[in-house]
Amino acid sequence: MFEEASEVFENMFKSSFPLTFIVFLPAVLILVSPLPAEAAHEFTVYRMQQYDLQGQPYGTRNAILNTEARTVEAEVLSRRCVIMRLLDFSYEKYQKALRQSAGAVVIVLPQNMSTMPQDIVQQFMELEPELLATETIVPVYFALEDDELLSIYKQTHTSSSSQTSASAAEVLLHTATANGFQMVTSGAQSKAVSDWAITSIEGRLAGEGGEDLPTIVLVAHYDSFGVAPWLSYGADSNGSGVSVLLELARLFSRLYSYKRTRAGYNLLFFVSGGGKFNYQGTKRWLEDNLDHTDSSLLQDNVAFVLCLDTLGSGDSLHLHVSKPPKEGSPQHALLRELETVVSGQYPGVKFSMVHKKINLADDTLAWEHERFGIRRLPAFTLSHLDSHRAALRSSIMDVRPHVEMRKLSRNTKIIAEALARVVYNLTEKGAPSDLQIFTDQMQVQEDQLSSLVDWLTAQPRAAQLVDKDSSVVSTLEYHLGRYLKDVRKHYVKADKRDPEFVFYDQLKQTMNAYRVKPAIFDLLLAVCIAAYLGVLYLAVQHFGMLYGVLRRAAQPKSKQH
Amino acid sequence: MTLFHFGNCFALAYFPYFITYKCSGLSEYNAFWRCVQAGATYLFVQLCKMLFLATFFPTWEGGAGVYDFIGEFMKATVDLADLLGLHLVMSRNAGKGEYKIMVAAMGWATAELVMSRCIPLWVGARGIEFDWKYIQMSFDSNISLVHYIAMAAVVWMFTRYDLPKSFRLPVAVLLGLCVYKAFLMELFVHVFMLGSWTALLVKAVLTGAISLCSLFLFITLVHSN
Repeated sequence: MFEEASEVFENMFKSSFPLTFIVFLPAVLILVSPLPAEAAHEFTVYRMQQYDLQGQPYGTRNAILNTEARTVEAEVLSRRCVIMRLLDFSYEKYQKALRQSAGAVVIVLPQNMSTMPQDIVQQFMELEPELLATETIVPVYFALEDDELLSIYKQTHTSSSSQTSASAAEVLLHTATANGFQMVTSGAQSKAVSDWAITSIEGRLAGEGGEDLPTIVLVAHYDSFGVAPWLSYGADSNGSGVSVLLELARLFSRLYSYKRTRAGYNLLFFVSGGGKFNYQGTKRWLEDNLDHTDSSLLQDNVAFVLCLDTLGSGDSLHLHVSKPPKEGSPQHALLRELETVVSGQYPGVKFSMVHKKINLADDTLAWEHERFGIRRLPAFTLSHLDSHRAALRSSIMDVRPHVEMRKLSRNTKIIAEALARVVYNLTEKGAPSDLQIFTDQMQVQEDQLSSLVDWLTAQPRAAQLVDKDSSVVSTLEYHLGRYLKDVRKHYVKADKRDPEFVFYDQLKQTMNAYRVKPAIFDLLLAVCIAAYLGVLYLAVQHFGMLYGVLRRAAQPKSKQH
Repeated sequence: MTLFHFGNCFALAYFPYFITYKCSGLSEYNAFWRCVQAGATYLFVQLCKMLFLATFFPTWEGGAGVYDFIGEFMKATVDLADLLGLHLVMSRNAGKGEYKIMVAAMGWATAELVMSRCIPLWVGARGIEFDWKYIQMSFDSNISLVHYIAMAAVVWMFTRYDLPKSFRLPVAVLLGLCVYKAFLMELFVHVFMLGSWTALLVKAVLTGAISLCSLFLFITLVHSN
């Protein structure tokens, strides 16, 4: 047969060149064609943080993944992709996977975080900083659960846990029936983003009565932080702070729009970026204002700087200071007014002052006011958290339901009242402690606050994701511009030679799960096919027997015809 | 999966053809070139069918999941051209009945195998994703070999001048079954919601039954006179 075939081909090629071309060109094309990506399941994964801060690397250092999936129960995890669900996630299991040099870790989160039991949410929140504390060589991904992914997890789970105890026959049977999954990410390796600009926005309300008025600075950082940038919505920290600041801007802009109600203080509003990265935006803003410019509100006469951080829930308010305010200073006045307003109008709220010295030996600053404190500006932070270490400040679990609108608007009211009492000097003028300024037309609008928080939590606001043209920045700028004067943007770019912060890309990727079988399955299949072909060969060889049987059966019948 | 998996599927799909060619004695008749001619006829007939379908059967844009009974039936009717093609091949070959049938069927089936399964196997079975459908496709090619041999035999019988009158009806029924088998299978799968493995099994049983019947008729016809 082959000799004939070769003859035929030879004649063909000799006779006509174009025919050769027609036969061989498609063959070559087929051989070199890339394999199509026809995945069993395709889903979006969010990579863990990857950044350098002050030369120190944090988070995962890798983005490429192409390994088979396992769950933690499997005996061998090395160079496998370990899938975990949030429900049974623990630091020990995570560490076990990393110790066994797993190829990657994929953590499956529920679609809706708020449906999770509180203790699991709390536990994960506490773990997040630990996951990020050191650099991880292998890629770590987070995925949101759906039915397909759940079924992949379950199949992987059964195959992983059955491996541990089974006879050889069981394992063989298992390889034929069970599915393995090859997890493959489509993106490239992560690399440092050069020239990333962090944006901050400032705006002001000018006071009335002379040249050298004292200035009150209100600050809140808008960026969010969590173990995965694309999942950090930062509702309470610091969506609540930004919305309070915007509401304060609205309230005071109404007071400052009439000459009669304009107070003897300048108000400077600052929405800072990079707050979760050691307050980079604030740092640059201070440098720009204090070192490089000749005249700035910050240089002349700053009464105090009030930083707003995490104000969306809880029944307590803490004023964090790095130095207890002196009697008679404006700082002390605000402290006293806050106490007055809380005790006079909201007895249910616990108000206290928390004193913590700035620790320059720490890698990161605790609160935003410490940035101002270092530059010798009187500053404090108002928050419902009693410690800067609270896990809520850097968690992907900090989602919209964490912010209680009633409490957020109450806190806004308290701050607004206390500020008004300071700027109009009401206590010395003998106003009663339950005097309410922001009522009726001037009242805090809860629905406006609510829509602000909704908008802020509608998209992840991690510092790596908010670039200078992003809608978050432009909307913030527009919103401030409606109420304030001289709204300006400030950009921070890391130094090229010795960068203070470096962000990395590939934070959101598409992952494919391909159904695969182990190599032993192919061997098994080859044996089965060989057996089948053998039987077929014998059957064709002995076709004459069937023929004979049928002939004998047919003969008597045919005689009847 | 791997190249090895492709090898498996390839062996499963092609070796039965090779075995049949070798064992049926076709190789001793110098039949290779005639098989290639049969394959060329297959290509020509398919091209004509496609042109015809494309001209007279515009794509039916019904809702998804709705079975277009009439349309599919009409499309299956176009497969009558296959019978003509097989007849053409056989009429151009001189020789014994078995020889004619085998040459036409082998050439026809091999051409189909090369044209319609080679590329899906190469592209699909080598991919990362594992799917049983490539193994099923290979089994299906074995079934279609049997199917074409039976079909060629029936056509051969039908075109004989000395076909006894009593044979006319069963042969015609078998012809109809051969042509509309694919249509019937689709209908079966659609009505009974068969899984892919069950559908394959049903197809194998149906083809086996048809070919046994035609073999029986063939034997009776050949040895009756």
